[in-house]
Amino acid sequence: MPTRNLVETHNLTKQYGKVRCVNSVNMQVPPGAIYGFLGPNGAGKSTTLKMILGLARPTEGGITLFDVPVNEKNRMKLLSQTGSLIESPSYYGHLTGEENLRIIQTLKGCSEKDIDKVLKIVRLDEARGKLVNHYSLGMKQRLGLAAALLGFPKLLILDEPTNGLDPAGIQEMRELICSLPGAYGMTVLVSSHLLSEIDQMADHVGIIRKGGLVYQDTLESLHAHSKEQIALRVSHTAIAFDLLRKDGIEVTQEGGWLLLPMMDDSHVANLCRELVAQNISLYRVEKREKSLEDIFLSLTGKESSL
Amino acid sequence: MITLRMEFKKIKRKKIGLTMCALICVQFAWLLWSGARPDENERLEGWIFMLYSLPLVSVIMMPTIMSVLASRLADVEHKGNTYKLLNTLRRPGSLYHAKVVCGILFILAVCAAQFLFIIALGYARGYAGHPEWKYYGTAFLMNFACCLSLYLLQLLLSMLFFNQMIPLVAGLGGSMLGLILMYVKMYSFLPWGGFLSAAQVSMDWNPDTRVVHFYYREYSPVELCAVAMIFVWIVVFYTAGRILFTRKEV
Repeated sequence: MPTRNLVETHNLTKQYGKVRCVNSVNMQVPPGAIYGFLGPNGAGKSTTLKMILGLARPTEGGITLFDVPVNEKNRMKLLSQTGSLIESPSYYGHLTGEENLRIIQTLKGCSEKDIDKVLKIVRLDEARGKLVNHYSLGMKQRLGLAAALLGFPKLLILDEPTNGLDPAGIQEMRELICSLPGAYGMTVLVSSHLLSEIDQMADHVGIIRKGGLVYQDTLESLHAHSKEQIALRVSHTAIAFDLLRKDGIEVTQEGGWLLLPMMDDSHVANLCRELVAQNISLYRVEKREKSLEDIFLSLTGKESSL
Repeated sequence: MITLRMEFKKIKRKKIGLTMCALICVQFAWLLWSGARPDENERLEGWIFMLYSLPLVSVIMMPTIMSVLASRLADVEHKGNTYKLLNTLRRPGSLYHAKVVCGILFILAVCAAQFLFIIALGYARGYAGHPEWKYYGTAFLMNFACCLSLYLLQLLLSMLFFNQMIPLVAGLGGSMLGLILMYVKMYSFLPWGGFLSAAQVSMDWNPDTRVVHFYYREYSPVELCAVAMIFVWIVVFYTAGRILFTRKEV
């Protein structure tokens, strides 16, 4: 059945021995999106991406790329429209950056002119004649991205592309990735274990935890999950709690604070007046917001490493 | 063809050709030393003596040379973590074939250099007559087949292990084993003994007269099986390598 997503996985599962690293993942990457694949270390992000690229065989389930179910016969044809950078960059250290790209360009069967273009995009044109062994880690990572960009594929799969980069390099890589859909019409599937990174890059997000996809939607929807609350700190918490309950307010107690649902300013002022009238001293009134990080932790579990 | 062409691009600056030349020169030095300053009688048996010497040199040197060759070709991929990129660009089977064919071309060059040197040396020493091309041709083919079986084995090991010391040690071990086999009997079913099994010339040394006589061997059925085993090893190692290469997850 035709789909409109560029990448779809159907109950994608990978089992090593008795351990299910990826468990029935149904990923949907719409065209033109920057899909952030988020999850703690060891959650199954790389394994999922490797299965999409055919580097690992799924134990169960299937993959659809560009509306076509992937099989052994059409795999290479479908992958010719993708570029990838999985974990660390692949390179021949004893060759120059340009020689590396020439090998990949020839194997990809794309135009030689692309080499100049991608070297400019990743800002390696001045280091093109240098041996890759003499590149810094950031330069190697950019070379890996340049290799993935060769042929300007429809789909770019990047696994933790900012790993090992310094803050400036991370910022640069992030800006580059963000520009790709607009500049070249690419769809980007990028994985990370850093929420802030995905928050700044992606417009769609999938969160994986212990091999299972626990959340998938637009980043906007994830932000909408952020719940605003009014927090009160008073002299007699228990009395104030009963009083607010009697007024029909859904109040909860948390660490000596009273948490009330978000309400307009006049309503807050009325409540404060009422509490003071009951001889309850009001120490603090705060507006609280459940951060994206809180949501992420509640989805992935606090015990997971970020 | 593209994948094969890229195989040669990948090994630029790796000096594989130079390494092969250096190792082949050791063989040349050996051959120069053995049978140097031949007398009249030795000149009469010179060409057949060369065919006798060749498997002895090969059985000791070739396992090491093949392990170095396979290791150099596989190591460029291990060092740069390139399989996970290459496998998205080309079918793993075609990548394996490119490695095999690239190795075959090097082996052909090594074997050709070996034979050209022997022939040139024979003429330079003034051996009587000319080489018997039928035997020299067969020797070339069998030498190539033995090298190929060892190369395929070493390629399998080099792809299997990230640490290239393991296949290199296996290659050196093979050379040692070949040396030991040489003193046991003139055939072996092991891949490292193929050079001896395929040797066409044997020696008859008379302890009383101290005269050495070289002659072309008549193969017994067991010896013929040992020769056939070289080709069995080629099929076994090629198939195992292909399965490993195509099924391995990266």
